[in-house]
Amino acid sequence: MAPREAERDGAGGQDVLRRAGDASVLILTSLAGGAKHGYALIKDVKGFAGVELGPGTLYGALDRLEGLGLIEALPAEDRRHPYRITPAGVTALRVHLDAIERVRVAGRLRLGLEGI
Amino acid sequence: MAGPGPERLVRIALHCYPERWRNRHGEEAAELARLLIRDGTPARSIAWSYVKGAARTRLVPQPHRRLGAAVGALVAVACSLGVSLALLSSSAPANAITGPCSGGARGAGTASRGPAPDGYPYYVRSGTARSSASIPIRVAPKKPANSNAKDRRDQHC
Repeated sequence: MAPREAERDGAGGQDVLRRAGDASVLILTSLAGGAKHGYALIKDVKGFAGVELGPGTLYGALDRLEGLGLIEALPAEDRRHPYRITPAGVTALRVHLDAIERVRVAGRLRLGLEGI
Repeated sequence: MAGPGPERLVRIALHCYPERWRNRHGEEAAELARLLIRDGTPARSIAWSYVKGAARTRLVPQPHRRLGAAVGALVAVACSLGVSLALLSSSAPANAITGPCSGGARGAGTASRGPAPDGYPYYVRSGTARSSASIPIRVAPKKPANSNAKDRRDQHC
């Protein structure tokens, strides 16, 4: 999908991250806190989610997110490319988190955990 | 600091990626692997992760490849339709009835349609006739002199 299409879908409320995979969501969440390069991303994701991303998985997700126009590479610093989230990425992450939140509330309600 | 062995393993794994990917991420990926190995991550698991990532990169079609595949499929469908239409338009009903053995030389002698001067329809003269129930009936054709080769071919069919 072209970046412009991703922007349009994100703005229209469509969850473009639904099929992007967990790694993509974790990376976008990490980049929402500021630009990072690969090593810092792996460490940050392990810190807040307890998930250790493999480097192959990381670069696959970075390519996919960049192709969707949700992140962009910044100029290299000592052989490392930092990445940052784009406005379309912010919108896509917000839409995806809203969708997850609806599922979370429904799940807790049906399990009788809501309000406890 | 890891020795040359683990880094070499990672370099080999990185060579599984397409060249375009290596030009873009190769140095960065090697640097990331070096940092992870320094932190204690086994080089084998890093190399394996890169091998899996390379397989995914090669298996997932890129947008321009997807377009090329779609164009190729359209061309293939158009060609197969064209060939089918050409075969349909060029084949005589006698050929369709008598099968592959009736075409070519034998059909060439029966190019004209309609009843012949002797009163038999063209498909009877070609070696087969069709009843009103569309069941092929073999009719023995006249044997011209010196036609042994042709007879052998008919018997084979």
